[in-house]
Amino acid sequence: MYFSIVANGRPPTVVETAAAFELDMLEMEESYRRLHDAHALVLHPDSVEVWMANPFCFAPTPHRVTAGGLGWTGTCAWDALGIPAALHTDGEVDSDCACCGEQVRLRVENGELVEGADLLVHILVPARRWWDDIGFT
Amino acid sequence: MVFLRSEEHLTRWLDANGWEPGATITAAKMNELARVWWWTRLDPGWRPRAPQESQAILDSLGLSGEFWQL
Repeated sequence: MYFSIVANGRPPTVVETAAAFELDMLEMEESYRRLHDAHALVLHPDSVEVWMANPFCFAPTPHRVTAGGLGWTGTCAWDALGIPAALHTDGEVDSDCACCGEQVRLRVENGELVEGADLLVHILVPARRWWDDIGFT
Repeated sequence: MVFLRSEEHLTRWLDANGWEPGATITAAKMNELARVWWWTRLDPGWRPRAPQESQAILDSLGLSGEFWQL
C-alpha cells in the first residue's frame, strides 16, 4: 500500500491490488476492511476507497504538503508534519490558521522546524478517544 | 488537530465553535512528535504499534497527564 502511495502519489484501488496479487476482488475488499479495522488505514464511509493512509490523506484538507518533490495532503496538523518525517526528507506545509484563515507556512529542514516553529497546534480530542471519530480528530 | 497563529486566535476559535479546550503545543513540539511517530511508517516491516509503545513516545516528549493517556 505505502510503496504504491509513494510511487504513484495515490493509494491503489482494490481492483489494482487484487490484480497485483492475483486475488479475488471480494477477498481483497475484506483485506482492505481488516486494515481499516486495525487502524492501519482509514476507508471512506461505506466504501473500500482509501481516505487516509496516515500521515497521507486522499481527500481535501487545509494542510498541503510539499516533500520529496511531490505535493501531498496531510490529514491534520500532526500528519502534515508527519509526511516529511515518513519520507525522511525536508518539506513545506502550507495551511491556514483555523481561527482567521490566514495562510501559515511551516518548513522542515533536516528534521528541524525552521519556519513556523512558534505557531500553535491545538488538539481537541483526548488521546483515548482519537479513534472514536478519526475524521473529526 | 489544527494550526493557530496565537493564543488569542486559539481562544477566539474555541469560543466561536463552543468547544472546550483540549491540549495546545507549539508546532515545534508537534514536529518532534511527528518525526518520532511517523519515521518508521514506510518501513517494509512496519506493524501497528502496541498502545504502550505509543504511550512511551508521548511520555518521552513530555506529553503526559490525563489528556495524553491512550
